[in-house]
Amino acid sequence: MSALNEVTILELSERVSGEYCGKLLAEFGATVIKVEKTGTGSPTRRMGPFGKDTSGPENSGLFAYLNAGKQSVELNLDSASDHATLLELLKTVDVLIDDHGAKWLRQYDLAPDSIAERFPGLVFCAITAYGLDADDDRQYAEDLNVFHSSGLGYHTPSGAADDLPPLKGAGRFLPSYEAGLDAALCISATLYERRSSGLGQLIEISAQEVLASRVDYVLGQMIAGDMDVSPSRHTFDLGGPAGIFPCADGFAYLWMSAPPHWDALRQLLDNPAWMNSFPERWMELDCTAERVAECRKHITQWLSTKQKHQVAEQAQQLGLTLVAVNNAGDLLASPQYQFRDYFSEIEHPVLGKFHIPTSPYRLSATPIKTNVAPLLGQHQYSMPNAAQFGEPQ
Amino acid sequence: MTDQQKRGGPLAGVRVVELTKVWAGPYAGKLLAFLGAEVIRIESEGSLDVTRTYGVKDINKAPGFQAVNPQKLSVQINMKSDEGIALLLELVKESDILIENLRPGAVDRLGLGYEQVKKHCPNIIYTSMGMYGAEGPLSYQTGYAPCFAALGGLSALSGYEGAAPAGVNIRYADSTFGAAAALASVAALNHRSKTGEGQFIDVSAVESMTSMIGDAVMDFSLNGAVRQCDGNRHEDMAPHGVYPCRDGEWICIAVSDDQAWQRFAPALNLAGGAGALAGRFDTFASRKAEESELDDIIANWTASHDASELAATLQGLGIAASKSFSSVDLISDHHLWARGFYADVEDSEGQSRPIVGPSWKMSRGATINKAAPKLGEHNKYVFGELLRLSDEEQERLHTAGVTR
Repeated sequence: MSALNEVTILELSERVSGEYCGKLLAEFGATVIKVEKTGTGSPTRRMGPFGKDTSGPENSGLFAYLNAGKQSVELNLDSASDHATLLELLKTVDVLIDDHGAKWLRQYDLAPDSIAERFPGLVFCAITAYGLDADDDRQYAEDLNVFHSSGLGYHTPSGAADDLPPLKGAGRFLPSYEAGLDAALCISATLYERRSSGLGQLIEISAQEVLASRVDYVLGQMIAGDMDVSPSRHTFDLGGPAGIFPCADGFAYLWMSAPPHWDALRQLLDNPAWMNSFPERWMELDCTAERVAECRKHITQWLSTKQKHQVAEQAQQLGLTLVAVNNAGDLLASPQYQFRDYFSEIEHPVLGKFHIPTSPYRLSATPIKTNVAPLLGQHQYSMPNAAQFGEPQ
Repeated sequence: MTDQQKRGGPLAGVRVVELTKVWAGPYAGKLLAFLGAEVIRIESEGSLDVTRTYGVKDINKAPGFQAVNPQKLSVQINMKSDEGIALLLELVKESDILIENLRPGAVDRLGLGYEQVKKHCPNIIYTSMGMYGAEGPLSYQTGYAPCFAALGGLSALSGYEGAAPAGVNIRYADSTFGAAAALASVAALNHRSKTGEGQFIDVSAVESMTSMIGDAVMDFSLNGAVRQCDGNRHEDMAPHGVYPCRDGEWICIAVSDDQAWQRFAPALNLAGGAGALAGRFDTFASRKAEESELDDIIANWTASHDASELAATLQGLGIAASKSFSSVDLISDHHLWARGFYADVEDSEGQSRPIVGPSWKMSRGATINKAAPKLGEHNKYVFGELLRLSDEEQERLHTAGVTR
């Protein structure tokens, strides 16, 4: 049994945000029909990482991740007959997901108002960078722009050096994944309501607002006048000695903010003399730049010879929040991830067998299932006018 | 109809009990409240959340708490007393979802673990949030947001090219974890509405981080490639960077494809500093091959510009450009105000207060109009109306310290 097994979703998305949203819902058991451009398919098919280091429409690891468990049909929306097929499909599905934006939707006669009128039971989720009504100066955006319109970019990394540029964050698509997550949440919630009302609705997701709401703890205080704002790149920071330190085999992250952390560190380091020059509760009451630098110097020295996983385990046993800075290899090898089956082994007809990241929750009654991504047009036979496409292969 | 029911929204009629602390758990509850659920946060004088107390004069006006808890209800139940636990279980019986993010093992010690709660409330959706999840060889470990990002593989990818990892800003991670927990809870709600069956949901903060770099992890899975920090680079675009502007400001420019480059190159040429550019960078491969030089050319050009004006000019050319927002830019962004992202709500004293609203708009969304609750602001409603306790019983529980 799956949580959303009676739900059918049509996905017009061609970017990471909409495709990730569809993937999350497919893992909950929804049937997600992905509409792809005839012949070429989704643009994410042409983006790496590619399996076996070659390209090709069925060889994209990005596509395989974002479209796990979906069905694929090909439509040329510029052709009248395929467009009519799309409208036929819309009569049969519960949800429509798109991530192109207002102009594209109008171009294909899919403007939200008109969709609501023609398909009153349809949940329509439109994901964009700045909203469907974005101003003229917000019409073009990549994830880089979204990350930096949320405040997270300007303040990354923490403790930024003013002469180095602020960063884009981790990887290529973090803002898109975040937007897809909120979109999936809203779709799930509206589907719950629709069970009793029978009514669809428009959900509009702004990726900028998703990212900005992710920093609500600081932004909420700033907007209410409870926290200072300034052009400084440190207004989100907490200060103190916490940070990433080099180890013998990589890096570790150490968090320290309170006396118990300091006491645990003292125990772990076997009460070194340098710690005695620091006053009680210095991190709370007297956290000077000099003390932070001094403390970090000693921690750097100590950690430089340590193995990250080993020292983290020792620290955690004492209540010190020290953790390894994991890379992708560490994640695949993690005993915790293996215990929780975070990676699922799947077999793809072109990519072969590989481990795919699933989602971060385990549901006891309706376990998520991460299936293989579709080949381009693999499910063409399921279309309303399927006769013209022949039988399934 | 209660005020709560009048709010509408897709989760109208859903009741959530929150046993949460700090940010991630409360954020999950906030999302559900913003979707229309009645979210009741359990508090007590003896174990106040750090966001109510840290550096705060008035616990009912604690800035951090107010930022993450708008639209919720607060009820006081002392979970260190047997009567408090019994009372809480009565409340859970009247609820649909329980969310907890206490320390590993804490709910079990309180007698509030899933199996224990399930005996009283068999259909409850019980969402447990832990750094590493509820079970497994490392589930005993604890940490704060930057630990989630480090363990989940995010920090290793964020930093300057060729340098040690620097990590994403320290405020990132808790809320993403909370959003994942909210999503799983609502998915389970769909299942329950079909079948009547509740369930246990185990959410991992670390895994919520890995999900945000899934494509990079796929590169290891498929090819054994361990990706490193890449500054502001993007393997599918060039140029793609953050460049200095006048007065210490920065602009982000992403040239999405060759067509965008054709629109962008003349702007660089017009500036007079890059006449030699003609034709040299017309293909993605040529731009990627000399990306550092290209970045230098662009940085020289942007340095004398006002970031906002230049972003508007480039947007006019169809280029993905934007100013990198400082906190001042963020709270004064006309677009966020115009869309109602910053919403005014009312506190218990009738004072207006702006909050960070939801990331979505819906045709039939929930009304969001209340600030975070005062401690115990909804004791009367919860104990009197929901649990139907007499005034005398409420008084007795208060005197006995059970509801303080």
